[in-house]
Amino acid sequence: MWKTINSALVTSIKNQTVLQPINELLYQQIRTTYVLKRKTPPNLHKLGGLRKPLRSRHYIYDVIKNTAIERQPDIEVLLTSVVEGLGNVGDKVSVRPQFAYNNLLLPGLAVYASPENQEKYKDLAINTDVKKYSTPSAAYTVQSLSRMTLSVIMNKDVPWTLKPWHIKASFRKCGYVVPEYAIELPEQPITGPNMDIENKEFAITVTINKQEKVNVRCRLHHWSTELASRLPYVPRFWETPSEPILPEQKSILDTIPIKEIPVRRLRSGAWGVWVRFLVWRSERHPGPA
Amino acid sequence: MNTLSFRTAIHSCILKSLQNKLIRSTFETTNLIQTREYAARKGTRERKKKGKVKVEIQKVGFIPHNQRNREKYLASRPKLKFDDSTMRDPVDDVFVMNYYKWVVYPFQEAVQCHRETHSPEIYNKPDSDLLVTVELNMQGEKKNKMVDNFTRIAPMPHKFDHGEERSIIAFSKTPENQDIAREAGAQLSGGPDMIKQIQNGQLSLADFKFVIAHPEILPELVVLRGLLKKRFPNPKNGTLDVNLGTAVHKFLHGVSYTATKDEYEKDFGLIETRVGPLSMDAKQLEENFAALVRDIYTMKPKRQGTFISRCILWSPPSPEKLKVDHVAYLEDTESTKSKGKVEDEDDEKVEQVAL
Repeated sequence: MWKTINSALVTSIKNQTVLQPINELLYQQIRTTYVLKRKTPPNLHKLGGLRKPLRSRHYIYDVIKNTAIERQPDIEVLLTSVVEGLGNVGDKVSVRPQFAYNNLLLPGLAVYASPENQEKYKDLAINTDVKKYSTPSAAYTVQSLSRMTLSVIMNKDVPWTLKPWHIKASFRKCGYVVPEYAIELPEQPITGPNMDIENKEFAITVTINKQEKVNVRCRLHHWSTELASRLPYVPRFWETPSEPILPEQKSILDTIPIKEIPVRRLRSGAWGVWVRFLVWRSERHPGPA
Repeated sequence: MNTLSFRTAIHSCILKSLQNKLIRSTFETTNLIQTREYAARKGTRERKKKGKVKVEIQKVGFIPHNQRNREKYLASRPKLKFDDSTMRDPVDDVFVMNYYKWVVYPFQEAVQCHRETHSPEIYNKPDSDLLVTVELNMQGEKKNKMVDNFTRIAPMPHKFDHGEERSIIAFSKTPENQDIAREAGAQLSGGPDMIKQIQNGQLSLADFKFVIAHPEILPELVVLRGLLKKRFPNPKNGTLDVNLGTAVHKFLHGVSYTATKDEYEKDFGLIETRVGPLSMDAKQLEENFAALVRDIYTMKPKRQGTFISRCILWSPPSPEKLKVDHVAYLEDTESTKSKGKVEDEDDEKVEQVAL
């Protein structure tokens, strides 16, 4: 019996010498600090006397603080490029550490805001020619305005000429706040009711914070108060191709990106729409699709 | 002979028992025989029978597919209570509403917005109704006791066609008061004679929707308590009032509304009513709205926090829903609250004395 134990011990020792223990490699910094408090405080000892021995009840603790699961404070980073919704080049922003590491520091969009880095990137904001946004959120607004198709509903029976307040009301109905002074209509007036321009497109310019200009694609629809003379409802009108109302606006409308059809709609069998969409896009943007 | 037969009988008995023992011993070794050859203890089977619960299969009728797992669906439904406190405030002058807190419009501006969409050049419905949706926090004085559903009539300072037929009968002693009620629009206004007519059966109370009375005639009116039941005038409803003119005006031109609790989210209440046509003057609409908000606030339970959580203005056919600021109209009710309480107590005393 002793022989077998001996042999097992020898092999295990041999193995140890052959394979390096793995914990030597683990010199990662880990947080293992706990702040504890005894549930029963130990008794006091006499002055100059021996300490009283601790009983088992003195080894029962309450956890006051566990540093491993503590919420870490935000960190400051210095942006080296424009990040939409965050800031411009050279801005010092405070973000969650995990977000900063994954989305800013790893892709190289920002650096740690250490004193050395601040010194190094001091002139970055002045020297770069990158387009700057008035506010971080303006970049998002530009994006969502440029990919939308605004439905402008006008009356089918009463004569009208398109004015900025019509556009303002249409924007508000679609969930956008756009003041009248930010809206710039095409120079040639659009008048109606005119069934030739029904479901046709025109472009307007919206100025955000009196700085960023975005061209917005609009679709004109006629609406009658009487139910009988109302036009049939067209679902997802923005997916069907259309023509510009004003021929001179064709070049502007072609530059505005077209909203892609979401993949889940294609999965549910909207292939006919997709093919029409592809044809439409290839007409507007000739080249490799 | 007797002894012999007895002996043989004993012998046979012993032999049989020996045989039995032998058989038993042989079978025991092979473990084939049942060990217990006596009946279970008396009552055991009955007890066990009692213990068995008869499973009754309940027949469930056909439940439509959309109503199956209803409780589950209701539990997982998003909360109706409105809270956008976690959203950001807009910074730019142009922004997407979905990404920020709801825009809170001043009342007149919201009316102006609806007028734009209802103008002849767009929807061409300038006479459309201006509707109000008021969301309530129905939590009562205690945390799990809710305010009951209530239906009230809010006085409207500026009258409009509410589309309901309301007939009013007013009781008062002095001819001056009777005239006041008649001028205000009561169909019938009278005194003790009218009470006698009703008792005789010459007049039917079923023809009238509201019964309003002056406190001076209360002793005579008690006779009609059995006929009127819940419609008997009382100061809490506003049907027993010293000022008959305003009371009649309120019940004739006021707007009726009902607060209903959600069947699952019990602390969420909803009121849908209107404050006038869009073509009405914006200031008059605002005063009507203020009166409505104040009237709703009289139902507030005595607890901390707000009662109205959100007010929304909308007007068909436009899909727009605009949140309006209602807090501005509450300030003076807060200050007059202490005074109001004293008055209420006085009214109750009057009622007690009268009854």
